[in-house]
Amino acid sequence: MSIILVGMNHKTAPLTIRERLSLSCDSADVPLRKLKQISQISEALYLATCNRVEVLAHLEDREGGVEELKKFILSHGNLSLEELRSCLYVYRDDDAVRHLFRVASSLDSMIMGEPQILGQVKDAYRQCVEYKASGIILNKLLHHTFRVAKRVRTETGIANNAVSVSFAAVALAKKIFGFLAGKSVLVIGAGEMSELAARHLMANGVNRIIVANRTYENAVRLANDFHGEPIGLDLLDEKLNEVDIVISSTAAPGYVITPEVVVSALRRRKNRLMFMIDIAVPRDIDPAVGDIDNVYLYNIDNLQEIVDDNMKVRLKEAEKAETIITEEIIIFSNWLSTLEVVPTIVSLRRKAEDIIAGELERSGAWMKNLSDDDRDKVKIIASSIVNKILHDPITSLKEESLNGGADPYVAAIIRLFKLGHDE
Amino acid sequence: MEMIIFKSALIAYFVSTVGYIASILVRRVFMAKAATWVLFFAFILYGAFIAVRWVKAGYSPVVHLHDSLSFIGWAISGIYLAFQMKTKTRVLGSIVSPLAFFLIMEASASGGLVREMILPDILKGWWVSAHTILALIGEALFALACCAGIMYLIQDNLIRKKKSYSFSRLLPPLRDLDRINHICILWGFPLLTLGIIAGSIWARTVWGSHWQWDPKQVGTMISWILYAFLLHQRLAIGWKGRKAALFSIVAFGILMVAVIGVNLFSVTVHRFV
Repeated sequence: MSIILVGMNHKTAPLTIRERLSLSCDSADVPLRKLKQISQISEALYLATCNRVEVLAHLEDREGGVEELKKFILSHGNLSLEELRSCLYVYRDDDAVRHLFRVASSLDSMIMGEPQILGQVKDAYRQCVEYKASGIILNKLLHHTFRVAKRVRTETGIANNAVSVSFAAVALAKKIFGFLAGKSVLVIGAGEMSELAARHLMANGVNRIIVANRTYENAVRLANDFHGEPIGLDLLDEKLNEVDIVISSTAAPGYVITPEVVVSALRRRKNRLMFMIDIAVPRDIDPAVGDIDNVYLYNIDNLQEIVDDNMKVRLKEAEKAETIITEEIIIFSNWLSTLEVVPTIVSLRRKAEDIIAGELERSGAWMKNLSDDDRDKVKIIASSIVNKILHDPITSLKEESLNGGADPYVAAIIRLFKLGHDE
Repeated sequence: MEMIIFKSALIAYFVSTVGYIASILVRRVFMAKAATWVLFFAFILYGAFIAVRWVKAGYSPVVHLHDSLSFIGWAISGIYLAFQMKTKTRVLGSIVSPLAFFLIMEASASGGLVREMILPDILKGWWVSAHTILALIGEALFALACCAGIMYLIQDNLIRKKKSYSFSRLLPPLRDLDRINHICILWGFPLLTLGIIAGSIWARTVWGSHWQWDPKQVGTMISWILYAFLLHQRLAIGWKGRKAALFSIVAFGILMVAVIGVNLFSVTVHRFV
């Protein structure tokens, strides 16, 4: 039995590779279905965000399954072996648990402490449950993960000033425009990150907001939240000259904004500066737009560099979070190791119950002379004797498992009670 | 008396320079604020020095090259202070203040300010004063436009590199720099134009013609055309940002060659003392 986590994130894989991975998982159910087909995998969770693609799996036996998982990522992302080797990480058992805890607590995020990732992990788990890809281990692990993330958020200052892409975006906007009062922003596509960025910009003085969405209803809904103007994507080119800041995060597979459109918009707005933030993966804004004079284009990878400075402050808080996570890993692995002895305990009990049932059956003829009441009493005495005898070994076994030393005892019990031969 | 005023002005410029640079090194805003006040004090003092000299001599003291340079230094610091009231661009002070200090100190070290002024009578008229002062204030504005342009290019470059440079945080926002660049040229251009006109009127009275095809005049005219073109592009076409900044730097370079370079390396009827 082994918990394994393979994946790649923004630190190991460049945007181009992550783009390909997230592009191929538009039909969200496919990865989980494929994963379930791998025979060695008994439970699996598939997590894909802009910044990471990870598979968490529970493997029946220690060795098998890893290569299959790698192959899955390989074929899923249409990657070369060379790319895979340089980008992929593999974590096992406690390390896998630690990684998951760190991811959900936002310690592994591009912008440390950003709050979205926990929601994304929750979504991934919800999907995992829907597809019945989770079992006893992942259920317990994920619930534990959510608890850890909550603990980290409340007990450390890592999320005190909730920053993400938005923080970097506001700082950059100020570097370009100075004061943001009187500026306007266009939000293309919906998404927590872009909404957050828009909110931060508005908190810093931006007072006009246009919301563009493929579906007009969504634009209207989001625009209502911001007191903004909703538009359909078809009006995008027309409205582009009216805005100073553009935040784009659509799920569109191609570019939504091309250099030609920007050049024309710039001409109409007399070359007043524009700041464009592309937080979509795959990208929404043609990178060539960044070469145009008076336009400043940042994509999601660029923003990481900007926040590195602010990270230094958060690193201290992160240390506290790591301590919490280490504590929680011990709690979880304790639970996991008691889980190891559970099958032994179950079959030991079953054997005892079988013996009781067999003996009662054999004494059936003699017991016929007893009243119903007495017969029940005999049954109760028999099972309580057996339980009393089994109680100490079972408790000891659980205790040993907490220390990680249960293996010889499990072997001894199986051998002494001939548990293996029963089946 | 005037030397006391001059020396205290020079010291004030020096103190404000040190203050600005220190404020960048230790990243303390209050030091920059203090430096701004000292610079203001220095500006007043040097203004008083110019006034005293003017009154004493009875005509404009801004004729020699060194006088002109120190006058530009003084004008730049004044213009910067005016901007400082509008925009928070203190970091510009850390360039302007040393520049002003350097120009004024250079003028004093070369002895240009101290020695008695012996001027031919033809240079004592009002037209000469108007010509030099208007042109020099225009040049000071262009110098500041050039400064803002250089800073714009640096900041633009830093933002485009998409890395977090601590240096970038010291520079003013792009829009402020572009605005300073624009306003300086917007004001500098008519001043230079008026200066040239005043000069040509004066030239008519002494040389008999408005225009001499002197290297200095030609150089100034080239940069005047460049500024006119830039101003047109800005106002009519809507040039902004990098292109405008680059253009203002080039135009200022040519202007400097015309004003200083020609004086030093070439034969010109435009050199008087």
